[in-house]
Amino acid sequence: DRTPFGPTVHIHNGVLQVRAPNYEDPPGLVEKTDFLLREWIGIYNSQPQGRDTTKQFTMFVHQMNVHGILKTDDLITRFFRLSTQICVETVYRSLTDKSVTMNLTRAKIYHTLDAFVKLVALLVKHSGEANNTNTKVHLLNKVLGIVAGCLLQDHDTRVIDFHQLPYQRIFTMLFLELNSPEPVLETINFHVLTAFCHTLHILRPCKAAGFCYAWLELVSHRVFMGRILATTPHQKGWPMYAQLLIDLFKYLAPFLRNAELAKPVTMLYKGTLRVLLVLLHDFPEFLCDYHYNFCDVIPPNCIQMRNLILSAFPRNMRLPDPFTPNLKVDMLPEISYGPRILANVSIMITPAQFKKELDSYLKARAPVTFLSELRSNLQVSSGPGVHYNILLMNALILYVGSQAISHIRSKGHTPNMSTIAHSAHMDIFQNLAVDLDTEGRYLFLNAIANQLRYPNSHTHYFSCTLLYLFAEANTEAIQEQITRVLLERLIVNRPHPWGLLITFIELIKNPTYKFWSHEFVRCAPEIEKLFESVARSCMVQKTL
Amino acid sequence: GVAPLGAVPLQKEHQSQFQYMESAFYHMPHPSDSERIRPYVQRTPYPTQTYYIQAPLPLSDTLEFYQRLATETLFFVFYYMEGTKAQYLAAKALKKQSWRFHTKYMMWFQRHEEPKVINEEYEQGTYIYFDYEKWGQRKKEGFTFEYKYLEDRDLN
Repeated sequence: DRTPFGPTVHIHNGVLQVRAPNYEDPPGLVEKTDFLLREWIGIYNSQPQGRDTTKQFTMFVHQMNVHGILKTDDLITRFFRLSTQICVETVYRSLTDKSVTMNLTRAKIYHTLDAFVKLVALLVKHSGEANNTNTKVHLLNKVLGIVAGCLLQDHDTRVIDFHQLPYQRIFTMLFLELNSPEPVLETINFHVLTAFCHTLHILRPCKAAGFCYAWLELVSHRVFMGRILATTPHQKGWPMYAQLLIDLFKYLAPFLRNAELAKPVTMLYKGTLRVLLVLLHDFPEFLCDYHYNFCDVIPPNCIQMRNLILSAFPRNMRLPDPFTPNLKVDMLPEISYGPRILANVSIMITPAQFKKELDSYLKARAPVTFLSELRSNLQVSSGPGVHYNILLMNALILYVGSQAISHIRSKGHTPNMSTIAHSAHMDIFQNLAVDLDTEGRYLFLNAIANQLRYPNSHTHYFSCTLLYLFAEANTEAIQEQITRVLLERLIVNRPHPWGLLITFIELIKNPTYKFWSHEFVRCAPEIEKLFESVARSCMVQKTL
Repeated sequence: GVAPLGAVPLQKEHQSQFQYMESAFYHMPHPSDSERIRPYVQRTPYPTQTYYIQAPLPLSDTLEFYQRLATETLFFVFYYMEGTKAQYLAAKALKKQSWRFHTKYMMWFQRHEEPKVINEEYEQGTYIYFDYEKWGQRKKEGFTFEYKYLEDRDLN
């Protein structure tokens, strides 16, 4: 991780404070905190639900003052740390008490935690002058850091006895409290969102696997999603939310890649699919914008997960039915516009020397040695089971493709089956198709298929490219693999990306590709049946 | 399941992550963990037979739906589901049926007849009200409804 800056400093300080070895408190502080906290829990819970606690709070702040808690910043943060630890201890004690019903246990736990959360929320709201946002935000970051620090500490010491409950409740309820419709809170809302996103990033599943289910609940909480994706203007919350999803995908990747899912993995995976479905339905533009970043971290075999992302398209767009006979993709006005890609693909092509050689090859179509060395540039020897740099492959394909589109445009043409051919760009693609081994070619073709989405210039260009590679292939193995990549993305349940369907339908319908005369189509009776059923669904059926 | 790139044994750190995840799996978050406290009607998930209705009827969170509910149901929702959207909808539906909330007695009143007296401060007459302690409707003759106790916020 980078060195933290900005608001994260306070969060990290909070974490460090809890995790520092031999952290000693001034004598008597533990007792004072314990006394005050229990006092507050009593006051809070003697109030009828949902009533205003301002008066009680003012009296309580006076009491805190009397006990000298509010004297220094250091004492305040110590108070929060101790309070968090006391609350968590109370929760663990309640959970081991088997003499009462679980409903009663929960009620007791919620009463303790909600009171603590209310205290934090009130202190944040009333710290500093009414219009001094800095003090409030600073305090919030500190508290979130402290709770996160307590969580990590607890997680690492209790290991399999760790419970997500207290932390999940503190974070959820604090978030809800700080998102109530109040003017003071409205002014700091973006800071609140930022603070929670940073905290959740610090607590990502890779760092606290025992917290992963609660973490996903927090990330997918309807108020959290709504605030960060819908109500924050100018999509300012989108990059932060994308980061959290990337954290989730990265965590899942090693477990999903082996395709043998244990129950705990299946549970988290199902939850992830649900979140993606919600996003596809409510925020398709978000998935469109970050599709590249997401596909980079999702393992190649997670076909449905990737299809959910690739099927997203802007809500104001109407997609022509891919099954329309004689659909002329070239005539769609949308295909002249490039999609928004929020990743800097160009800087992902490393090392710098390779990037330099690539650019000069694209310009001069020479030297030929660039092509012969391509394969070794993409290969990696380290790590078991991984022989290629997948990130570099993805970046290279998208970079060369977008360069090709601008190159064709600069000559006054539009990309189509003939204008894409015989260029430095196509040299690279054809070389990769021929020169790579099965694994490399699989990754290469996947990188292309990841661009087959809603009608846009990339979809159109890469659809033509894939069909061209099929037509010009010098061995049947390449054609078989192209078919495989397309087919395996279509035999899974819906949704299917529009560009993917278009490409596959073209391949099996257009006689120039002689699709049905290939041996691999008839290599086994079940494969043959499969093709027939796909063909039937592609050609006839309209109501899929 | 397919692993086109071949299976890769889990690294040590992933094995340890799995252990943490597995133990967390045995105490999953409960739906109520991320909700405000429900003092009366708690969530008690139970695996019911699939031939029973599993999800509430569509549009059952609309005012139109609440207006079709029995008055007693509305009173139940009002008193036992405090601070929820359901309570808000129940109050709205009750108001539409000319029930008025008395903020001192915390009970709902409805005119039984035209009030005998109406002035700036109060009205007086015979009312039907819902007694939440006895849980039933009662009639009160010669009752004075002071307007300062009338809950008259616009529910939007």
